[in-house]
Amino acid sequence: MLKTDSFSSRARSLEGQKILGYIPRYVISIVVSLLVLIPLVTTALGGFKTNGELQSAPFDLPRAFLWDNYSKILTASNFWRQILNSSIVMVATVALILFIASLAAYIFARLNFPGRELIFNFFTLGMLFPLTVAVLPLYITLRQANLLDNLLGIILPQVAFSLPVAIFILRGFFRGIPMELEDAAYIDGCGSFGFFWRILLPLSRPALATVGVLNLVGSWNNFLLPLLVLNKEDLWTLPLGVMQYQGQYGSDWASIMAFVTLSMIPAVIFYFLAERQLVAGLTAGAVKG
Amino acid sequence: MKRQSCLVLLMLVFGLVLTACGDNTATTPAQTTAAATTAAATTAPPAATTAAATTAAATTAAATTAPAATTAAATTAANATTAAATPAAPTVPAAPANNMTGTINWWHITTGEPGKTIFQEMADAYMKANPGVKIEITILENDAFKTKLTTVMQSGNPPDLFQSWGGGVMAEYARAGLLKDISGDLKGAWGDSFNKAPLDVYSADGKYYGVPWDMGAVGFWYNKSLFAKAGISAPPATWTEFLSDVKKLQAAGITPISLGEKDKWPGHFYWVYLATRIGGKAAFDKAFDRSGSFADPSYVQAGEKYKELIDLKPFPNGFLGLTYNDQSNLMGDGKAAMELMGQWAPSTEKDQSSNKQGLGSDLGYFPFPMVEGGAGDKDDVMGGGNGIAVGKNANPAAVDFLKYITNVENQKVLAKAGMALPVVKGSEVAVTDPLLQQVQASVNKAKYYQLYYDQYLPPALASVIVDSVQGLLAGTLPPDQVAKAVEDSAASELKK
Amino acid sequence: MQSSLGTKSTPIIQPVQRRRPRYGRIFTIVLFLLPAAAVYIYFVILPIGQSVFYSLFRWNGLGPLENFIGLDNYTKALGDKVFVGALSHNLLIAVLSIVIQLPLSLVLALLVARHLPGRSVFRMIFFLPYVLSDVTTGVIWSFVYKPDNGLLNTALRNLNLGDGQAWLGTPNLALYAVFVVMCWKYFGFHLILYVAGLQQIPADLEEAAKMDGASNFQVLRHITVPLLGGTIRISVFLSILGALQYFDLIWVMTLGGPVNASETMATYMIKNGFQRFQLGYGSAVGVILFLVCFVFSLAYQRMVLHRDLAGSGALT
Repeated sequence: MLKTDSFSSRARSLEGQKILGYIPRYVISIVVSLLVLIPLVTTALGGFKTNGELQSAPFDLPRAFLWDNYSKILTASNFWRQILNSSIVMVATVALILFIASLAAYIFARLNFPGRELIFNFFTLGMLFPLTVAVLPLYITLRQANLLDNLLGIILPQVAFSLPVAIFILRGFFRGIPMELEDAAYIDGCGSFGFFWRILLPLSRPALATVGVLNLVGSWNNFLLPLLVLNKEDLWTLPLGVMQYQGQYGSDWASIMAFVTLSMIPAVIFYFLAERQLVAGLTAGAVKG
Repeated sequence: MKRQSCLVLLMLVFGLVLTACGDNTATTPAQTTAAATTAAATTAPPAATTAAATTAAATTAAATTAPAATTAAATTAANATTAAATPAAPTVPAAPANNMTGTINWWHITTGEPGKTIFQEMADAYMKANPGVKIEITILENDAFKTKLTTVMQSGNPPDLFQSWGGGVMAEYARAGLLKDISGDLKGAWGDSFNKAPLDVYSADGKYYGVPWDMGAVGFWYNKSLFAKAGISAPPATWTEFLSDVKKLQAAGITPISLGEKDKWPGHFYWVYLATRIGGKAAFDKAFDRSGSFADPSYVQAGEKYKELIDLKPFPNGFLGLTYNDQSNLMGDGKAAMELMGQWAPSTEKDQSSNKQGLGSDLGYFPFPMVEGGAGDKDDVMGGGNGIAVGKNANPAAVDFLKYITNVENQKVLAKAGMALPVVKGSEVAVTDPLLQQVQASVNKAKYYQLYYDQYLPPALASVIVDSVQGLLAGTLPPDQVAKAVEDSAASELKK
Repeated sequence: MQSSLGTKSTPIIQPVQRRRPRYGRIFTIVLFLLPAAAVYIYFVILPIGQSVFYSLFRWNGLGPLENFIGLDNYTKALGDKVFVGALSHNLLIAVLSIVIQLPLSLVLALLVARHLPGRSVFRMIFFLPYVLSDVTTGVIWSFVYKPDNGLLNTALRNLNLGDGQAWLGTPNLALYAVFVVMCWKYFGFHLILYVAGLQQIPADLEEAAKMDGASNFQVLRHITVPLLGGTIRISVFLSILGALQYFDLIWVMTLGGPVNASETMATYMIKNGFQRFQLGYGSAVGVILFLVCFVFSLAYQRMVLHRDLAGSGALT
């Protein structure tokens, strides 16, 4: 049933017709691309302008590229520290989610025991709760656990709130892995964990990548939780920095735009690196049965 | 293959980190098997899963892990002192060595210069004199501060010292037992050093929970050259004159009034001031002690008078979506003729103006005009200021440090920097700016000083007031319904 | 239900079972589920349970819980015009997403899914806004919408289309203005889903139909879209769920204003729960929000998704 792009000879004979058909498709795609890019590019360019220029001619190229706004941020240590903190939180969150969720998903996918569906549903129920709803009790919980002013205080709740979706995706994928492999593994002397670790996880790379990228983005952009949990400026993550910067600079839009632009760059780089994995993961995960 | 092992490694590392951090949830699986791997890795793309289910899961991640980004809100709010850069910030005086020990957490909202540096210098000076003390400063932007403080308070864990505007919000915390009663410390020299009125803003039920470092008044800040351009020779003294001046400014093609009503609190000043002018002290006292009502004629009239102004459309385009920073920017850049704001307005305007200079000598000040026939006095003042409240867990060092930062020399430092109207006796002389002197004089002259409602009243009632007044400004609530909405909330929030 | 994969029906013949004694199996299950269960229960279920408990009290969030009022908070919320307005805004966003955002994503996905040289570049661009944080997006679009010299109004003026509007400052426009930003940010995500779904449809099938004389539109109508059905149904589900829970961008851009014009259930909850010191009430609103999502997802799964989810035991 599954077949990727197959170029039959008949398809090739239609090529000429298709090239004509490309034109409207390009026009639409380019228009939409412009709608996406214009706000972003004007923001990046805005960082090179004076405020006066930004007000009078927001669309124009900067008359002279002004590096002050950018260099002011790049030479301040807190910007780099925020990047570091965000990165630590992100990597730890993603690693933990992948590990914990795949352990659970393995059980739900491969073992049968009474009450399994009930427990699984109990987990998936979490999808219906946005973190916002329970943020105050969550805060109290974190305080009791002594996790305030600690990056773990962000990492663990992020993991917890992402588990339902992660388990859901991974279980679906794990089920697709043929039973015979597991039997073979046991015959060869693998325990449950051995099978899980040495066979299941390596085979599930596309699904793990999907879960990973989605949580990467979510963690990098999280704001409410870090705002509440982190007091010390040393521990702040990037979105907190953006907020603080905007509050501090108020109407100095050129500076704000420079900061916003710089804060976007890491996310955009991650994305470019991971885009193929993401599409591949979604595609592989969506294989029809 | 390499990527896989990286992944595996990462997982292990973080499993270990977690275990190391003592969290009981991190069970690093112990049972690793050395068994041979099968040929598995070579074969089999996954086969039997339903497309929908898997895709579903993938997508839900978008819905549920969508980052919780918040620009913290400012419903009930007076504003922060965003101090602007002033030439040559004065250095702070040396702190007394009192052999204090302990850690002090201090949250303030002075994100701008020179205030940020001055506060840091004060902390450094104190720590130098008292090596056993560690002062940890958290500087938060105004809105973020409010969101965060609310959560922290509701979890029962206040910082030792934190920004406060006194009044009803502080009283709410005090009654919940979250603040430290410092009445005992204030008995004697320290308490006597303050002017009484500003200090009393930080009392609730006869006890003190904090001290002020700034207290002023709300009034009109105006652009003299724009007024001149519109042919207005003297600032208006009455509401009628005020309305006609607004029309003159409009006729000259000038936006008469700057207002950033997205933040809600700036717009409520007008309503409160009108009520103060029309009903005077008596009307408010009655409504507050429940022998009267916020639906009384003076409050309805305040709304009606305000509506007269609103109907002239004197505000900038899209003012309902503008912030207070935008409001200051429009003033500082000379794009609007006036704003109704507190003593921090000049420094914020300067900070928010495009050239960081503000209006300079073009800026003028006049008190809120009198409403003809009103029961209030033309000299009555509405205003407030900034202070520091003391959390319940604060140690003696925190109070001692507070004494230091509110001593007369430090008050002078703040006054000279233009970031405060000082509240300690003998420091007034340090106010050199003529406009701030004018504000100071108006406070001294006032027989009735009303703290802004959004801080004076309980938070739930305060936010109904600012919300309803925003409705008046947007034209969705008529004046009588504004008064009624406020009264409905007052009926349940204010106990007799 | 678990037919193909379950070991239950034929436990004895499997070598797996012989090699693993019963207590070993239980040990494995417990050990593997423990980390997930611990984190999930401690950080998700426990706080939510507390919310439900708080919702039965009149409580300002400070001091002890004393004033038990039963379901009063719930009746108060359902009787509040502003809350009902917020709920209707959530529903409006859901409808707009289905009517505007998803078709847009689908059309673009069809354009860039296959055969178009340079398609991967377009896909990357389309997906780009999704990776930006809401704070960043909010700041950027606040500048776009600025009433005096924002990008949008400047563009309109340059094109001689009038002076534009105060997009976020006009009660009748604010919600739609924010919706445009939501579309901008999230259409790429749905697009990627559709692209992934489209890649599963055998090209042969469509080409065979074309050979048989079907027009492009007919192929789309009768082959492509039906085969994409599962993906579409899921994407609709997620859109609606997201719309019901929506908070972030609205909070950043309008705070639910002006005058509650863009209020959603979540912004209403934060305002009333935290900022007004009515934590009991705010918790009740949170519980209502959850119940709405729960009922919706239950109904949607029973009525629409049952085919797609059969056997996977998803939700409920």
